[in-house]
Amino acid sequence: MKKLVNSREFVLFLILVLVSVAISIKNSSFFSASTLFDIIRSSLVYCIMAFGVLMVLISGNVDISFVAIAAMTSYSTHMLLLKLVYTGDITLYFVIAISMGLLAGLLMGFIITQFNLPIFYVSLGYMTLWYGFNLFFIGATMNFDLPEGMVGYYARFLVKVRDPVVGEAGLHISVIYLVVIAVFIWWLLKYTIFGRGLYAIGGNREVAIRTGYNVKRITYTMLALVGILAAIAGVTQSGYSRSFNPVLFMGKELDVIAAVVIGGASITGGRGTVLGSILGVMLIEVLNRGLIFAGIPAEWQKMVVGLALIIFISIPAIAEQRAKRSRYIAVPKENREE
Amino acid sequence: MILKDRTAEELLSVKNVSKHFAGVIALDDVSFTINRGEIRCLVGENGSGKSTMIKIIAGIYPPDEGDIYINGHYYKRLTPIASIHEGIQVIYQDFSLFPNLTVAENIGINQLISSGKKIINWKDIYKTAKEGLSKVSADIPLDVTMEKLSTADRQIIAIAKVLLEDVKLIIMDEPTTALTQREIQYLFKTINDLKEQGISILFVSHKLNEVKEISDRTLIFRNGKKVLDQETKALDIKTMEYYMTGREIDTSLIAYSKVEKGPPLLKVENLTLSHGFSDVSFELRPKEVLGITGLLGSGRMELAFSLFGEMPADSGKIYIEGKEVFIIRIQDAIKHGIGYVPEDRIGEGLFLEQSIADNIVVRLIDRLASKIGLVKDRAKQDVVEEWIKKLDIKTPSSENPAGSLSGGNQQRLVLSKWLASNLKILILNGPTVGVDVGSKIAIHSLIRDLAKQGMGIILTSDDIPELMWTCNRILLMRRGRIVEEFQREQTNKEELYEHLVANNKHSSTINRVKINSKCKDSRRVR
Repeated sequence: MKKLVNSREFVLFLILVLVSVAISIKNSSFFSASTLFDIIRSSLVYCIMAFGVLMVLISGNVDISFVAIAAMTSYSTHMLLLKLVYTGDITLYFVIAISMGLLAGLLMGFIITQFNLPIFYVSLGYMTLWYGFNLFFIGATMNFDLPEGMVGYYARFLVKVRDPVVGEAGLHISVIYLVVIAVFIWWLLKYTIFGRGLYAIGGNREVAIRTGYNVKRITYTMLALVGILAAIAGVTQSGYSRSFNPVLFMGKELDVIAAVVIGGASITGGRGTVLGSILGVMLIEVLNRGLIFAGIPAEWQKMVVGLALIIFISIPAIAEQRAKRSRYIAVPKENREE
Repeated sequence: MILKDRTAEELLSVKNVSKHFAGVIALDDVSFTINRGEIRCLVGENGSGKSTMIKIIAGIYPPDEGDIYINGHYYKRLTPIASIHEGIQVIYQDFSLFPNLTVAENIGINQLISSGKKIINWKDIYKTAKEGLSKVSADIPLDVTMEKLSTADRQIIAIAKVLLEDVKLIIMDEPTTALTQREIQYLFKTINDLKEQGISILFVSHKLNEVKEISDRTLIFRNGKKVLDQETKALDIKTMEYYMTGREIDTSLIAYSKVEKGPPLLKVENLTLSHGFSDVSFELRPKEVLGITGLLGSGRMELAFSLFGEMPADSGKIYIEGKEVFIIRIQDAIKHGIGYVPEDRIGEGLFLEQSIADNIVVRLIDRLASKIGLVKDRAKQDVVEEWIKKLDIKTPSSENPAGSLSGGNQQRLVLSKWLASNLKILILNGPTVGVDVGSKIAIHSLIRDLAKQGMGIILTSDDIPELMWTCNRILLMRRGRIVEEFQREQTNKEELYEHLVANNKHSSTINRVKINSKCKDSRRVR
């Protein structure tokens, strides 16, 4: 119980609740099912991408190219299926986009393991590469022609409630993806050699190699998953907005990384949880949205979110420094004089 | 009798192995054997080739010449995997642990990985971890992360982890450095149990009393050569020491500086740092080299850190040249003319990527700067050349990065960084850890030279010969207090060894000076 209360996730959850209550007091219309559903819906794709970011951060790396993979896979899939005069639903979109994301991830894994490069360096180029690929080969404009089977996707709800303000609000079906993916990634991280390997590599890469973790294979798997998750997020987001964008999510990569860091992942590796990442994304979303409700001008929002990020990053850093200091002067128990 | 080892089966045989690094001989035609169930000690000073030998047996370095036989298999060139496959496990000083993972995972994960399973059963991990810890009779909670544990606990865990493997030979690199007396006894008991099970141990150490206690046969290296290979029973510590250090160095020939009478350069009164040290009082005079020794956890490191402002003391007073000073930050120490040379020269003391020249001038950059803040190139060049010559740093160009220098040269470079800046007091923390013998002697004479020029030097170290060769006076710390004081002329290495490793209850009277601690008026610094 004490462990739970002390955990970062619990603290985050508490802050999330407090912020929500504070905003609701300022503007009671914030406190409604429609707002909740809306927040879930708009943070959902970021959560899915955040899981990829989470894995990369745990392994002690940083990747920013996932947004471009999301854009490339969704936009290319769409343009391809348009050419083939596809009329079905979103399932085939997912199948094709996920395959593309998988390939893009594997290709990145190949570049990184082959030349032994840090993921961050490669991802700088990889991001530009895939946005460029979209714009040059596929198309430079947003596309609104949806196949028949996709038109209604944005309004497929799991639950519907009456809402006094907007009339009717629904929880989008894609929340199922989030739950399934979150549980799957949680399981991967906790119960597989792959997942523990990520933590091990992030903790001490040399020792991980010495211990016998197959660092190459883990890197490939991780990047393939990042690609797949990006593809899912890309298609889902395009489905929501009923348009396919060649520069989807451009500029959002740092927001997602920031959210995962707020959720407790360490930028230097070895730390981070699925739940924390979800809460991190939600917190940023609630702040963004809530500040509008609270009547705070848009210019201020960025500042507030930025401040929140700095505060959340410094808390564990300060704790770590303290721990380091106490470790420095750790005197073996029996040598300690009372 | 241990004589049965003669007929016992050989586990490992090293024949005529030599190894060079960039022209420097690390190992020169070394041969020895380790039998099954034998506790073998490898003794030698820093730079004697011990670590190189370990790395060759572990398959990390290929030998230049020579052959290795393990379990009767011949290896011209051993790989790490082959070495592990033959049942050889090394416990390195860095313990090979993951700081961010729990005790259970650190111990249990190896078996899971080698079993080839992809899915983790945490129950198994905890079971394995418990089993491992029971082998070292340690009581450590399984679900705390490694970074929260003391060095001693981490060492125990590293050993527990290795014991779970199918080992035939465990190589322990200075395993007792981080352990307290009681933990050392645990370790020795474990080692003897393993011996009973037919596992061989290669115990690498320079603590001769431990070697004497634990080993069946002792192997001594000096300057890359095997100088002794004999049953331990027939050896005494004096003989070992003789072989380890070579000829006894005649300390009477060393020109120690004469300590000046008169006011102390540095005076410390009742300095206390919680969990570090308490009630420490001493004086340091100009031209004096004051040694501070003690085992790990005795507080000597913390004291050095405090005097340099890295870990400011909680209470007590510090006077420099009679004036009370407050050292709360490193900048304060520098302002008052205190310099510090760290043990981990690579981690703490140098900008490895920067040029040698820049590393020398970094501390006196203000003095070299012209009025508008630009560095005078000519002046810089002169200073750099002077120090490179003075310290005998071997490099083709002062523009080479500091990282290109050998260990000993790097250490001298760190010294130069401080020495160039006109210090009054220099704190040296284990100045020759990991330095080869040649550089060691050079550094020692440099320390004495500096003292002669009027500087006061505090040298913290647990290297007894080093203390004897450089210090005028040696303070011994135990449990955070200064418990004894030795005058160099009135003591010898043996006595110092004995007192350094003695239990807390142990009391010897020779040269013992009770440090007064009657003054309870400890005001907070600032």
